[in-house]
Amino acid sequence: MNRIAKFPVALAISLGAVLLWQSAFAADPETVPMKPWGKPSLQGNWDFRTVTPFQRPAAFADREFLSAEEVAEYEAAVRDARAAREAQEFDGEHDQGDLDAGYNSFYLDQGTTMTTTMRTSQLIYPPDGRMPAMTERGRETAAHFRALQARSPHGPEDRNLFDRCILGFNAGPPMRSGAYNNFITLVQTEDYIVIQTEMVNDHRIIPTNGGEALPDNMRLWKGDSRGEWDGDTFVVTTSNFTHLSRFSGTGENMVLTERFTRLDENRLEYEYTVDDPEMYEDRFTAVVEMQLTDADLFEYACHEANYAMPLMLSGARKQEAAGIEDDTWLPSWSR
Amino acid sequence: MSPVANTRQLIVTVIVAAALAACSPETNERAQVGVPPDTQESAAPNLNGVWQALGAPGWNLEGHTASKTPVTGVLGAFGGIPAGMSVVEGGEIPYLPEALPQRDVNRADWTNLDPAAKCYIPGIPRLTYMPFPLQILQTDSKIFIAYEFGGNSRVIHMDRPGTEAPLPSWMGYSLGHWEGDTLVVDVTSQMAETWFDASGNYHSGSLHVEERYTPVGENHIQYEATITDPEVFSRPWTISLPLYRRLEPNARILEYKCVEFAEDLLYDHLRRGYDGPRDLDGTVRIDPESAAPDL
Repeated sequence: MNRIAKFPVALAISLGAVLLWQSAFAADPETVPMKPWGKPSLQGNWDFRTVTPFQRPAAFADREFLSAEEVAEYEAAVRDARAAREAQEFDGEHDQGDLDAGYNSFYLDQGTTMTTTMRTSQLIYPPDGRMPAMTERGRETAAHFRALQARSPHGPEDRNLFDRCILGFNAGPPMRSGAYNNFITLVQTEDYIVIQTEMVNDHRIIPTNGGEALPDNMRLWKGDSRGEWDGDTFVVTTSNFTHLSRFSGTGENMVLTERFTRLDENRLEYEYTVDDPEMYEDRFTAVVEMQLTDADLFEYACHEANYAMPLMLSGARKQEAAGIEDDTWLPSWSR
Repeated sequence: MSPVANTRQLIVTVIVAAALAACSPETNERAQVGVPPDTQESAAPNLNGVWQALGAPGWNLEGHTASKTPVTGVLGAFGGIPAGMSVVEGGEIPYLPEALPQRDVNRADWTNLDPAAKCYIPGIPRLTYMPFPLQILQTDSKIFIAYEFGGNSRVIHMDRPGTEAPLPSWMGYSLGHWEGDTLVVDVTSQMAETWFDASGNYHSGSLHVEERYTPVGENHIQYEATITDPEVFSRPWTISLPLYRRLEPNARILEYKCVEFAEDLLYDHLRRGYDGPRDLDGTVRIDPESAAPDL
């Protein structure tokens, strides 16, 4: 077969593969539970653990999807890496891989599988699956907070909101799979949908009729969320964040758009777009498929058992008393 | 098999069928082809809304006159405890004689001992009648109650009678059912550390709370909570008070993330340069020598 003749065949095979691919993961409407008022039920407990990387690794550059075999290889590699880390011995001086992350492996619950759509990254925009560049203002602000958290804390306010149990590192908004507590409960009435996050035991109550925006001067840790149905997709817009409510370096003017689409009985597509031109040169969008689970959320009473805060502050005061200057207080995961 | 594995199996086994199904325009009509609900979510009384208790039961469930607090020196007239009539049926909480002294110890050092002052989760029933609104979101299978204080919440399970919590928690485990127009909620497995109010009224880990929410007209719910704890009380006793619907058109639950306020109480002595408690004008209130931090 000559080269010209091969082309349409290859094209047909490619198109066919794409069609089959899309079909396999297309929403399966017949299995979507409905609410009496004609909207898909989003209610249930949802698991958003995934080992799909947030940003596309260099090894997958220019590729949006993996094959089933590649997914299996990737998941096996993740399991092997965890097993190797668990097997590391602490030599008394050097960081043990699993302890340096703040927790040893026992406490981590990051899932073992990639998302069902086999994407190479959670980020789907920018098209290269990588975070857009920060603005100069974004870089300056990030440096400010980095310096603040690197120094010996003068008080609890020097630490980030996660250390203070005010926000959760994966509870958002938006929610992004993290070290543990990657679960939410959705309860849905005709007028509201509530998102309860296991992380730091928090919730957002979102009106389904668009709601009434808060005035600009009223700023909330989790922002002000208002929802509307776009067909069978629940779209939530959140603004009015505080300047401390930072998601990957965003600021108080971030506008977050989240889209919840129940694909079938067991899957909820969660797509979100972060738009913050003050801090980022471009917007960015990520997507994961949450999985329905029978598991209940635990009550993660973060503040009630936040032994770390008084211990950190006590340590800082002891360093001061001993005349020690220490700028190594950055959390190990952010160094 | 996990849902993920199910999905992947689907790729292999029914990929062609799925392709054909996806080509069908009818599949976009989800509202017509989805799984219909088992029941209409309208048969039970509708408790949806933003509600709030009035009066001063959050300060003291029993009858009390207005009094000073340690912060009247800072807040002046805003810092007193408001007076209130008892919301306990019969007037007084029936402590066992041997359990009453602990209530008095709690009361004497209230600001240092009250778990809610530290922004710890206040539990049930206390969150119901603290001076903050709550919002009820009602479905057939789950009823969600959000409390403004501390951003706390709980799910009342209407669909799993007879089950038990896997372990104790600050908010406990709530199982609900309807008795006529009354929502009855059994709350078990609460931590022993919560109190009933800011006056030292306490319980043990054996606490059992039965709540009853009865709509009285469109804008009121009669709330009752019967407390059973044989380690602390001589008999079950009942709190009874109305919850009032917040009628403002823009009524909503806002954030009262109390951590940022409790940090001053919990960690002030560990701040850099701490030399004693301060008034609002920044002056030290007591002798710095006696307030040196205990590291």
